[in-house]
Amino acid sequence: MNTRSTSLIPRRRLLKVGALGAGLTLSQYLRLASAGATDASTKRSGILVFLRGGPSHQDMFDLKPDASAEYRGEFNPIKTNVPGVEICEHLPKLARCADQYAIVRGLTHNLADHGLGSTYLLTGNRPGSLVKYPTYGSVASAELSVMPDLPAFVSIEEPLEGPGFLGIQHSALATGNKPRPNQPFSVRGVTLDGGLSLTQLENRQQLSRDLDTLFRGHEKLSGEITAIDEFSDKAHRILSSARARKAFDLAAEPADIAGRFGAHETGQSLLLACRLIEAGVRFVTVIVDNWDTHQQNFATLKRTLLPQFDQGLSALFTTLKDKGLLDTTAVLVTGEFGRTPKINGTAGRDHWPRAMFSLMAGGAVHGGQVLGATDATASEPTDGGWSPDDIAASFYRNIGIDPHREYHIDTGRPIQLIRNGKPIEQIFTGAA
Amino acid sequence: MTRPKRKGHRALALLCLFCSPVLLAETLAPVDQRIGSEGSLKIDFQRHVLPLLSRAGCNGRDCHGSAQGKGGFQLSLFGYDFDADHKALTKLVEKHGVARADKDNPAASLMLKKPAREVAHKGGKRIEKGGWQYELLLRWIQQGAPAQNRQQRFERLEVAPAEIVFRQSGDTAVLSVVAVWADGTREDVTPLTRFQSNNDGVAAVEATGRVTARGAGDTHVVAFYDNGVAAVPVMQPLPGKSAHAVAATTVDRHIQTKLAKLGITPSKLCSDEEFLRRASIDMTGTLPTPTEVEAFLANTRGDKRARKIDELLQRPAYAAWWANKLCDFTGNNPQQQAELGQELASQWYDWIFRRIRENQPYDKLVADIVLATGRSEGQSYEEYAAEMSAYFRASKPADFTGRPTMPHYWTRRTMTKPEDKALSFAHSFLGIRLQCAQCHKHPFDQWTQQDFKQFTRFFEPVKFDIPPAARETAKQLAAAGSATMNMQSMMMSQDMQAMAMDGRVVPWRELYVEKGNRPELKLHLLGDRELTLRSDEDPREKIMTWMLEKDNPWFARAFVNRVWANYFNRGIVHPPDDFNPANPPSNEALLDHLAQGFVASGYDMKWLHREIVNSHAYQRSWEPNATNAGDERHFSRAVPRRIPAEVVYDSLAQIVAAVGELEEVRENLDRRAVGHLSMRMAGTYAMNIFGKPARATNSDCERSADPSLLQSLFLRNDPIMQGRLDDGGWLRELETRHSSSAQPPRAELEPLIREAWLRVLSRPPRTTEQERALAHFSKAASTAGGMRDLLWALLNTKEFILNH
Repeated sequence: MNTRSTSLIPRRRLLKVGALGAGLTLSQYLRLASAGATDASTKRSGILVFLRGGPSHQDMFDLKPDASAEYRGEFNPIKTNVPGVEICEHLPKLARCADQYAIVRGLTHNLADHGLGSTYLLTGNRPGSLVKYPTYGSVASAELSVMPDLPAFVSIEEPLEGPGFLGIQHSALATGNKPRPNQPFSVRGVTLDGGLSLTQLENRQQLSRDLDTLFRGHEKLSGEITAIDEFSDKAHRILSSARARKAFDLAAEPADIAGRFGAHETGQSLLLACRLIEAGVRFVTVIVDNWDTHQQNFATLKRTLLPQFDQGLSALFTTLKDKGLLDTTAVLVTGEFGRTPKINGTAGRDHWPRAMFSLMAGGAVHGGQVLGATDATASEPTDGGWSPDDIAASFYRNIGIDPHREYHIDTGRPIQLIRNGKPIEQIFTGAA
Repeated sequence: MTRPKRKGHRALALLCLFCSPVLLAETLAPVDQRIGSEGSLKIDFQRHVLPLLSRAGCNGRDCHGSAQGKGGFQLSLFGYDFDADHKALTKLVEKHGVARADKDNPAASLMLKKPAREVAHKGGKRIEKGGWQYELLLRWIQQGAPAQNRQQRFERLEVAPAEIVFRQSGDTAVLSVVAVWADGTREDVTPLTRFQSNNDGVAAVEATGRVTARGAGDTHVVAFYDNGVAAVPVMQPLPGKSAHAVAATTVDRHIQTKLAKLGITPSKLCSDEEFLRRASIDMTGTLPTPTEVEAFLANTRGDKRARKIDELLQRPAYAAWWANKLCDFTGNNPQQQAELGQELASQWYDWIFRRIRENQPYDKLVADIVLATGRSEGQSYEEYAAEMSAYFRASKPADFTGRPTMPHYWTRRTMTKPEDKALSFAHSFLGIRLQCAQCHKHPFDQWTQQDFKQFTRFFEPVKFDIPPAARETAKQLAAAGSATMNMQSMMMSQDMQAMAMDGRVVPWRELYVEKGNRPELKLHLLGDRELTLRSDEDPREKIMTWMLEKDNPWFARAFVNRVWANYFNRGIVHPPDDFNPANPPSNEALLDHLAQGFVASGYDMKWLHREIVNSHAYQRSWEPNATNAGDERHFSRAVPRRIPAEVVYDSLAQIVAAVGELEEVRENLDRRAVGHLSMRMAGTYAMNIFGKPARATNSDCERSADPSLLQSLFLRNDPIMQGRLDDGGWLRELETRHSSSAQPPRAELEPLIREAWLRVLSRPPRTTEQERALAHFSKAASTAGGMRDLLWALLNTKEFILNH
């Protein structure tokens, strides 16, 4: 048993921005970061939009207008701004910017349980009892540098899937709740609430430092002591940082931009994700709920889910582009599985992992294409299809992390980040 | 350091002394020497060829031993599957028109040309053409590439020297390895052995078995050959003589022996305040109260520490904390139960809590889990259903803790398959990881896939459903309440749960051992002797008996080691759930003493706690001296480690409690994360970020003491933290008592400041600290406000969050 690899206290790659810190934009920062990086590959930021519940693939991005009534459903396809690509009529805004993203059809697996399916799609590895694989944001936290006064990984609103074997220091900072339109938004543990002013915070911090004398002279005695000092320092910076405060302050976004996203939780969450990425957070997970449409699938989709999703996601792409962030941000949109081809007795669809969709955008993604295909009823991929492992590997590639990177952890054998998947080349080349 | 010896062989060897000279055969010289001199040398597939491939790296994880093989050629990982490997080597490779081991044209064999780089080989050059490895493989092929001799059995490895002690860095020593076979043959297999060092910073080992000293400290160099794993202790002491330290207890004697060998002087003892805080946290998961601290410091008795230990063992919080730990080891996870997860998890916790409170011996406690059944002796299915339903009655529910056995361990959804039961069992009660052996031979442990499969069979008859004989009754019980039973899943419907709450009897699935329906089996219990499993026996009883045997290498050792790991920064074997021959204890004699003593005491857990906590080793200061700053392995000083999640959470409530309520807050286990609230708090934010284990995988490392950014943010600004400071009883009292904005006189502030230190850091403040606090109060807007600041400041020190 190699005793070297027992501690997971990370060597955190905090960029020393010093006096520059205040005025650095993200793109400047990233250029600096990659200039200092030991390898030449680009490291992007990441956004995961997780459609929790299992979004109905054949009613959104893989319509089958020629199937019989009990399969095809109530929606019709419409053209997009990419010739030959059609998506659901209730996603008109996304249809107008289809050149910004790639649609992957024919994604397939066999875990029809919410928990297992989610773990699979959120980590890129089939869940097992042996090893807990980390979710994308935790890997980003471990591998990407971040400014000293910002958290690396934020999850809106709860921490879905954890850091697994990477260790709890790479857990998401969970916002605790979703931003609601026209309501002030505060983030658990980060927003200064309860009347505590910056001055008071500073005084407390100073008092604490003055009293924390036990290990004076022995700061390097153990990894724990060093790490606690590091994290304390960073926590204080985040709390007292104007940049962090502004990043979480939705009201600071110009009204015309904020308005694009829509006055609903989904839109506001995506707006927050955009702000956080712009400020320098390296990975944001946005959870969008209520896709588990066992009943009233079409009514629910048409009334709320699709319009909000359409508005929010298209605004995300547009706004990232406008702010010059689309090239440096890898985006993945996915749920945990698709839904049953045959409509059930309550006008709904049930769990169906054998066919599902994902969207990829930003970074090196070649937008405006459809990859893969399913059969006449959207039940199975027509060719081999791809696995969640492959999508995950592609996402990591787009961020700039080697999906087959190995970690040395306690079990004694090296663990690969993505055990079985390979990046889908066509996503990046556009060529079939 | 080798596999447990089979007792029979010694007797057999003595007998054969008079029978045959063969058994005292000399050790055959290593094959690299004999291959040149012995023209008739027979190359053996198992003894020579496969080990050579392992040594050369051919069948490692990165190459042909990987799950898909490489380049179309797949070998078993480190050569455990002789048949598959022989087939893969001798079959024709279409692409090249020749076999890897080609009997018709030996010199053209790919297994020669590729590793010798005579043809393209992505794996590079692994052997020299014309060298002895090449010659060995060639000769084997020329001899017809014979498969393994099925009568041949590997017995054990002997490594010399048995121990290496270096004087200085740069010194070297050479290991030699002898393989002993069941027929008595002995062969020097050093050139065919794989070596690894467990710590390159202390000693490095080359492929030849030459060990080089790199730095002071100790580690093991491990030798692998066939199924054998042998670990050789290697050490390099610090120069100079260590100061002689008197060993106060037997535990100390064993530790001191090791420290003396290493030239390490232990640190002095910790202060009384440090001892009280440390022991309270480690034994009871609770901070001491200010009154308790003052009393302990004022106590002049020479034996006060020993008496405090006894007192702590009497507290209900002791039982609460250790019930938590046992729930960690047994995997008590509400989400893993198929139904009524929270309720079953709480029952599991409470059942264990009661038995620890009553100081039931560990072996009995475990037996009542291992051998659990739904029904007790003589109980009918209806009676069983009535009993279970009574636990869930809304009005005056029956007490689950009175049940003789605790079946929920076995009824988890994650325990449905026999393989899952085997893995969980090995983790919970033996401290071993069998996972690798599920698919192939464990690469560095002794378990073969066969071992795993056999062990799994013991669990096949353990069932959790409604036994066929009881299904009619079950249906009737359900129907009586107008509920229908899902005969597929046999789970409780919502109707049935409601019925149970109402006080009615509903059908329950039961844990039972299927008897009579299966053939008699002859199985090896984890590589040990062969057992016969009759069709009417509970196989778990065989396992339980085996675990309680005197020489069982795991049952007692795993537990005492886990308890040790709770009290120190690491176990004597570390990680504590990874007992294997390549991971030996850092102090074998110490572990032996504790395990044997524990068994001799009748598996008395309190004996174990006393034995550990009364030692000087446990009571050492964290402050290093000139010799031991680098030691985190030999218990020469206390290593600071973060306090557990539950303790953080509970402490926040205790620290701000009103003066008259502090004791009650501390004592009320129903409202404490260390106590009965433990199961309900599983998965909550604070518990997650402070590393309370989810118990989702079979792994001790799920409980994490690592610090993190989120923890620092939590202690500074989480709503829970703010709430405690804002609304805590003590703070409210201060608001009332010092409501005017005029600053109270020093004489009133000083005791308040002292109280703050006692509450948070379990010690009185030093003069400089007091002055600093007073300075802060002089600028604070109010006394309560100043105290909120002070508590915040103290809670955010390393001194609070670390157990030191």
